[in-house]
Amino acid sequence: MTFDCKDLERALAVPELLPDAREHAKVCDACRRELWLWSEMSSVAPGLREEWETPDLWPKIHQTLAAQQKAAKRNNVRFDWRMLAGIAAALVIAVSVFIFMYSPSGHTPAAPRDSDFLTEQTLKEVEQSEAAYRASIDKLSRLAEAKLNASENPVAIAAREKLLVLDSEITNVRSTVAHNKFNAQLQTDLAMLYRDKQDTLKEILPHAQSSQ
Amino acid sequence: MPLAMAAGRLTARSDADLIQASKRGDLSAFEEIYAAHAGRMKSIAFHLLTDRADAEDAVQEAFLKIYKAAGAIQFDSGLAPWIYRILLNCCYDTGRKRKRQAESPLAAEPPAIPNNVPLQLAIRHALDRIHPQYRMVFWLFEVEGFRHSEVAAILEIPEGTSKKWLFEAKRELKRLLTESRA
Repeated sequence: MTFDCKDLERALAVPELLPDAREHAKVCDACRRELWLWSEMSSVAPGLREEWETPDLWPKIHQTLAAQQKAAKRNNVRFDWRMLAGIAAALVIAVSVFIFMYSPSGHTPAAPRDSDFLTEQTLKEVEQSEAAYRASIDKLSRLAEAKLNASENPVAIAAREKLLVLDSEITNVRSTVAHNKFNAQLQTDLAMLYRDKQDTLKEILPHAQSSQ
Repeated sequence: MPLAMAAGRLTARSDADLIQASKRGDLSAFEEIYAAHAGRMKSIAFHLLTDRADAEDAVQEAFLKIYKAAGAIQFDSGLAPWIYRILLNCCYDTGRKRKRQAESPLAAEPPAIPNNVPLQLAIRHALDRIHPQYRMVFWLFEVEGFRHSEVAAILEIPEGTSKKWLFEAKRELKRLLTESRA
């Protein structure tokens, strides 16, 4: 290829043509100066870089970032407290609604209260008392039974019928208690039936004795 | 000088590790990123703002933004282009603020290139007279030592455009320098 001065610009854009441009520059002062300037610009350019010491710059950045981190942590803690307070408020509302819905004064049927239920220890004591009570009433019942059955006194006849009803009721309640031992209300009902039977027997025994 | 070399011992992997550690609040990891890039960032900022205090403010602002945005970085093109893009934006913001605060709103005409001065000084003067895009590519490639791929990533232009703008910058500079020395 025959290289001419007008090819120089194209050679600067296409590095593959530079060897031909350098050959031409050996015999052309103008092109030699331009080529020298072209490469010299690249040689001296790194010297344009501005460098200076800034010992305070990183400490300033560090201080700002550390302050931002602290503020962010405080915000997180505040967020946690807000979240916890929200959860607590939600729980209070939920419990209040539950109590309102299931309280005896509510619209739903009354459910047994906590106080209606017995502990294991109390139940044992109730069962022991009931057994002793039942034994003494049975003893009283045996004493009266023979005399009551033989008597045709109207009071004795009414008492017999009442005792039959009470015994039937006692059997029913005891059967229910067997499935719901911790229900204090049922235990109280059972005790009242026993007391009613005991009072009936006490009441009827003199009449049964006198009618014989 | 390639970016990876200029950035000292940092590699793409360690850049990722450092930025991950920074995200977890490790300021010593972030200080390593600062140590690797701050010098070059100051130089670029000074080139754009022509004032050391403004340059330091822009670099500080850039590092605060880099730390804040560390969680969002994509490592497709590496950490460095992302850092320098943030820096350029901070410099442009600072430049705009400074223009608003300046007493004379009219931009000053660049001074003529003096005769018989060392070539380096003549180039500095000539740079003020060429197109800003050409000047930026010349500065990043020739002065700061970035490769064309890195310049392209920082300025978000195709690599071919980076090469073309560098050629245009040098051609303009050559013309201005030749005229001033004729």
